[in-house]
Amino acid sequence: MRKRRASALAATLAGLMVAGAAHAEGDPQKGRYAAQTCLGCHGIPDQANVYPTYKVPKLGGQHSEYIVSALEAYRSGARPHPTMQAQARALTQQEIQDIAAYFASIDQPR
Amino acid sequence: MQRISVLFATAALMLLAILNTAHAAGDPAAGREKSQTCAACHGEKGNTQNSMYPKLAGQHPSYLYNALKGYKSGTRENAVMNGQVSNLSEQDLRDLAAYYGGLEGGLHTLPLNNSGQ
Repeated sequence: MRKRRASALAATLAGLMVAGAAHAEGDPQKGRYAAQTCLGCHGIPDQANVYPTYKVPKLGGQHSEYIVSALEAYRSGARPHPTMQAQARALTQQEIQDIAAYFASIDQPR
Repeated sequence: MQRISVLFATAALMLLAILNTAHAAGDPAAGREKSQTCAACHGEKGNTQNSMYPKLAGQHPSYLYNALKGYKSGTRENAVMNGQVSNLSEQDLRDLAAYYGGLEGGLHTLPLNNSGQ
């Protein structure tokens, strides 16, 4: 009985940890759909940003925690870029996590 | 005579264009020399395994340069990076961008065929 209770507790804890991790790391499958809008610029090789002119960054394979912090910085205004600020402000925190997880999961050149 | 001055002007313009490109592109070897501080966070060859920091290897040099410019001017706010670039020259930024952009890395343009499944 005590053993069963202990294992139930362990299972609950494990479940909580998995749920916690899933939230923290995001869901790459959900991110894949949430990232559709990103492709208009970040899915075009050598796509150029204008004023100032530079190539938009490659995001496939980039670290997820960095992507989360980048989107949060756009949302807060700490990082300037009107289009990216608008994009980031339209996303929920969960969508940001999911998109970051999706980007990080890309390990193949297109 | 007119032809000579046109020729001269063309040559001068071409020389300027070449000099300008060389300046804009930066010197990767010089960038490598200047990259030792960066390696602490961004990894030895710009391929850090720490998820908090961006991988730099193989990123577009023009993007990296613009990011560094933003940190230097303060338009892009980051407690660590604003300090790191404060003593770097314009040429340093270009050299670092050229160095990291030229390294082998695991960064890719996003695949377009992601609507399936």
